[in-house]
Amino acid sequence: MRELELYFGPQHLGMVGNFSITLNVEGDQVLEAKANPGYLHRGFEKLMEYRTWIQNFPMVCRINVVEPDSMEMIYAMAVEKLARIEVPERAHYIRSIYLEISRVASHLFGLWAYANMLGFDTVAQWAMYHRDLILDVFEELTGGRVYHIYIWPGGVRRDFPPGFKDKIVNTLHSIGGCVPDYDSTFFNNRLFYERAKGIGKLTQQQAKQWGATGQTLRATGMAYDIRKIESYAAYDKVEWNVPVREDGDAYSRVWVIRDEMIESVHMIFKLLDTMPEGPVYNRIPNPFKWKVPKGDVYVRCESSRGELGLYLVSDGEDKPYRVHFRTPSYPNGLIILEKLLKNASIADVGNIMISLYVVAPEIDR
Amino acid sequence: MNESLKQELESTFKDIMVTDRRDNRVSVIVKRGQVLAVLRFLRDKGFEHLALISCVDWIDENEFELVYILASYMQNNEEYTDRERLHIILKTRIPRQSPRLETATDIFPNADPYEREIHELFGIKFEGHKRLTPLFLERDYEIPPFRKDFNTRKYVKDLFDNIPCIGIEKK
Repeated sequence: MRELELYFGPQHLGMVGNFSITLNVEGDQVLEAKANPGYLHRGFEKLMEYRTWIQNFPMVCRINVVEPDSMEMIYAMAVEKLARIEVPERAHYIRSIYLEISRVASHLFGLWAYANMLGFDTVAQWAMYHRDLILDVFEELTGGRVYHIYIWPGGVRRDFPPGFKDKIVNTLHSIGGCVPDYDSTFFNNRLFYERAKGIGKLTQQQAKQWGATGQTLRATGMAYDIRKIESYAAYDKVEWNVPVREDGDAYSRVWVIRDEMIESVHMIFKLLDTMPEGPVYNRIPNPFKWKVPKGDVYVRCESSRGELGLYLVSDGEDKPYRVHFRTPSYPNGLIILEKLLKNASIADVGNIMISLYVVAPEIDR
Repeated sequence: MNESLKQELESTFKDIMVTDRRDNRVSVIVKRGQVLAVLRFLRDKGFEHLALISCVDWIDENEFELVYILASYMQNNEEYTDRERLHIILKTRIPRQSPRLETATDIFPNADPYEREIHELFGIKFEGHKRLTPLFLERDYEIPPFRKDFNTRKYVKDLFDNIPCIGIEKK
């Protein structure tokens, strides 16, 4: 059979986001795959060197379109560590709640992409609708639906408005009430099982070797979660579990995502119950004249896809000297995807890619 | 843990500077020729998660700084120990003129795209790397764009101000 070169994306029905894969195919089989990023390279890391520490906040959140909140968090954490700013107790709780809500929104978006790709249009529409309910919550809290710019060095921008706790609880209850529907239509559906079981299988050894974190690693049996390992915000204040699966295939990865959403919702309820009163931010110096002390830090947090890290260097001026994000999609999209696509069939390319949760803006930055 | 690691590193390698930064980060500064040996040593000690390779352009000192950030995965699949919290920040400096360094892809397979990115954005050549092809950019630049002497604002102005607006005819 003749060997062909096939361009999968960026304009392709099976492709989500501005990403492309160059496939060498023979018949239906992929012989070799080359990830081809760069369609969304905006050079944010360089642009951030031209702006003051505070001016960078509207920029970091745009690095990841799907889950901008963990980007704000990681940048605020790094600046706090360099400038030695303390965060009040209540702000820690608000940050955790806010990040978990955004994790649910991000997973629902991921579920939309995955269900849509498999042809489960109904489930995809439900997921999109439920994500929209969460965007309403964000709009009430911050004024923005997608980009919120809510986390700030020294805390969060403002406290919860009156009645906001009830709004969160009601929204999450109305989403949680649909979990049986999701299960019977999608997660326990034979079609999903047949399409995803054994596809894109990764052993734990391979996952470690290729730098996997997040669900990709947790689906191979390791409970590696930075919220537990190097706890930040208020994640050590309440009890919660890390969902783990053993098989390392697309089926396990999607199930980990489902279990994580449910765990996050339970965690939000616990955090809301135990949240203390008090101030939500500590004053920072005048942002126009703020010089952050010299030094470099590496901080990390668990975004909805895995380890999100930031290496930040300050030379004692009012602007960062170097900003470098370690995004979880980077090893997923550029290494693991290429390896897993070898000998896969063309029909499974989208399946493997979306189950690895590859988000293109995060790779390109 | 940190103390014994520090002693082991200092006794195995010459010209190495190990600083415990007390926030679960240990900073290790080595000469460029020792990078691969130290990386291999640390990987065999259990720091098998290469989180990031970064590069900083210290233009005033006329040097590039390569930064390797290493951490470890969990030993068994359930228990959390202090070990996973510990990060090694390994740094080395190379001159800015014709910068080159040996690739770490033989030790850490996931170093591949990080080195490609640094090659493209800083112009550092990694010897032995099998695929130093462009990653993000679509055209060639005289100065690699993430170096400090590349002025993004001037570049954008020069490039886009030369494109005439739609509807304005040139007289």
